[in-house]
Amino acid sequence: MSEVRPLAGLKVVDLAWVVAGPMIGRVLADCGAEVVRVESSQRVETARMMGPFPGGKIDLQRSALFENCNAGKLGLTLDMSLPEAHEVVLDLATWGDVLIESFAPGQMRKWGLGYDVLSARNPRLIMLSTSLMGQNGPLSSLAGYGNIGAALSGFQSLVGYPWREMIGPFGPYTDYVGPRYATAALLAAVAEQRRSGRGAWLDIAQVEAGIQLLGPEFAAFFATGEVAEAKGNRVPDMAPHGVFPAAGEDRWVAIAVRSDAEWARLAAMIGGTADDPRFAALTGRKQDEDALEALVGTWTATQDAQAVEDRLQAEAIPAHVVANAQDIADDPQLSHLGHIVRLPHDLGGESVIEASRFRLSDTPAEPRRAAPTFGRDNDYVLGTLLSYSDERIAVLRSGNVLK
Amino acid sequence: MAAALDTVRVLDMTTGQALVAGNMLGKLGADVLAIEPPGGSMTRRGNGTPQGWALWSAFSAGKRGITCNLASEQGRGLISKLARHAHIVITGGDLTGTTAPGIDWKALLHDNPRLIHVSITPFGESGPKANYAATDLIIWAAGGPLFPSRDGELPPLRISSDQAMLHAGIDAAVGALVALAAREVTGRGQHVAVSAQASAAQATLSVILAAAVGHENYSMIRPDPKPKPGAKKPLDLSGSGSRTRRSKWPVKDGMVEMHMAMGPSAGRFTNNLFAWLRGIDACDPRFGEWDWTRQVPAAIEAGELSDDEIEAARADVAAALARFTKAELIEVSMRHKLLIAPIMTIADLAHGEQFAARRVFDDVEEAGVMRRVPGALTGRAASQGLRPAPLVGEHNAEIYAEIGIGEEALSALRAEGVI
Repeated sequence: MSEVRPLAGLKVVDLAWVVAGPMIGRVLADCGAEVVRVESSQRVETARMMGPFPGGKIDLQRSALFENCNAGKLGLTLDMSLPEAHEVVLDLATWGDVLIESFAPGQMRKWGLGYDVLSARNPRLIMLSTSLMGQNGPLSSLAGYGNIGAALSGFQSLVGYPWREMIGPFGPYTDYVGPRYATAALLAAVAEQRRSGRGAWLDIAQVEAGIQLLGPEFAAFFATGEVAEAKGNRVPDMAPHGVFPAAGEDRWVAIAVRSDAEWARLAAMIGGTADDPRFAALTGRKQDEDALEALVGTWTATQDAQAVEDRLQAEAIPAHVVANAQDIADDPQLSHLGHIVRLPHDLGGESVIEASRFRLSDTPAEPRRAAPTFGRDNDYVLGTLLSYSDERIAVLRSGNVLK
Repeated sequence: MAAALDTVRVLDMTTGQALVAGNMLGKLGADVLAIEPPGGSMTRRGNGTPQGWALWSAFSAGKRGITCNLASEQGRGLISKLARHAHIVITGGDLTGTTAPGIDWKALLHDNPRLIHVSITPFGESGPKANYAATDLIIWAAGGPLFPSRDGELPPLRISSDQAMLHAGIDAAVGALVALAAREVTGRGQHVAVSAQASAAQATLSVILAAAVGHENYSMIRPDPKPKPGAKKPLDLSGSGSRTRRSKWPVKDGMVEMHMAMGPSAGRFTNNLFAWLRGIDACDPRFGEWDWTRQVPAAIEAGELSDDEIEAARADVAAALARFTKAELIEVSMRHKLLIAPIMTIADLAHGEQFAARRVFDDVEEAGVMRRVPGALTGRAASQGLRPAPLVGEHNAEIYAEIGIGEEALSALRAEGVI
């Protein structure tokens, strides 16, 4: 393994907040980029107020969500309502190779920090703007979090039962998708910047990233007019295919039978009426899926979810406990991958986050420092990176700019 | 933009949803070759919803295509020759339980030490679950996003569109680009491994970390079942909300999504909501006075604002929203800075003005058949338009010519079932 960090030397100004924006900088920081995360301790960003929290106690300096999105970054606090703060951002944009922002479209321009201004100062700058709908178009001013993104990309219509109103996916779904597309676009632009010195303005719409992942559904609709809909947990080519109750409170096991042979093995385990010949082939199982599911559910309901997973997997039948947070903490596979990472927290104790989701054999991507507490690196960023004098920093501090 | 990837050659040996990795790299400008067995990829014939061909059309767009029988010695020889000049090889994606013909990666890396091999697997290449039988549902259950996706007391619910391997695929594309950056420094390729289980965990808003950080009974889907006596009431200070049923509101012609957020950042949107309602005389004046940034959360925590009172405010909101259509509410949402969005079906979205204005979809022609698929996400101005998904073996001649295989040799390989 080499000591090289893949993005060492890349300088990043991260003005993004909550999840979709900060996850981009997190990946860059894992890869060795120097990422300066700018935030306000006065208008506290949403992620810091969301859990989970150690001991269940709300603490703005210890949100696991915030720490997961911001590990490895330097922290600078700035009150963006003050013009002096905009001067600092301008200097950062001159220092940086990349600037990431996730404000409502037009906000940077209102502050006098539009791409034209920044690129006049630093022509090789790559500015990445990530927003809900994109920087232009009739709906560009539509504000919102990822739940709105899920509504406007189709995902809200794809979770639910056919006999009830749809329920939608858990949380801000496009926040999970947008940052990966944004990071890939950014890395391609960085490769070009390193080759030619050219900058760029990347406009990433989170809703459009969501659309990418529904590409087949859109292609099918345009070709045939068929509209994809929520179908509970059922799929056309497998049965049983669902989530079944297990013994204990709120315990569930997911089972997916891909073939008649897999069903024959499962039916033998279940015994009783499971070997009913009408269930032997997929068409028969689809025909009376309610009865099939009741049969499986009755069998699982008295068993430990893990025991069902173990028994089915031993027969090469797809099954898994529907993992809650405790299952994830105890999962032997995630533990084998080292997926949960513990880093020392600046205020004592630990910062618990997830590892990089891609594992590089030669130049690993890994977080090496906990996410910043408020203003943790103000002096380093201003004094060392921007070479501000002590006097200038003192003036900013006394003017309440560094809050 | 992104011309830097123009010279990057990718051999894409994936199937199913994992096709998205090469699709992403192709849309960023890389030269991606989809490699299929001589009869065509099994993905074309099913292997996923809604239809195999749609999966192929959407996620093989932007690639060229060749055939190669990896079960034959000769076929593997062709791949190793191609790999000598390639930057990236991507493999994985099969969820059918069949074993793919082996490729000797060590030999490929020996011949081309700069080669990057990206492997996408359901659980990981090693470890106790590496050989687990897996489908989309199983990975979604194992990675965490299935559990909190709930409709009341009903069982956890999946998304009716296979997503898990897509999450792995888009992580794989990012990993490949990072490895490419590293190669500029080290001069070496490397192995990039992606586990779909770990990738799916991203879709949980870090809820999966609750037990690991010691947040007992943490739930974003229902109140704590065992609150400690005298404890403050828990607050949902998220921007998006997570008790999904409570953010759905029936309107004149369907449903809209709106979370009544509170707290210093997101609470202002709920203030805007009541300001609008007050303006159209649609709520009790006492609700119009509330400040959702600080006062409401503080009052709830202190037990001074009852659930009944919150429900009364919600009832006014529900009655007002029910008087409008989705289209009217999107206008209101933009004008008054609210967080309301109509719940759109695939059909609603396909013809939306926003996507037309931004050319979100591209029209491509596959052997005389027009297909409309999501286009490239960035760099559109410079984009030459998207290449359609390849037909089976469409680019055999031009690609194999690169490694010195002329027409005659090509026919021989074809006759032997190698390509």
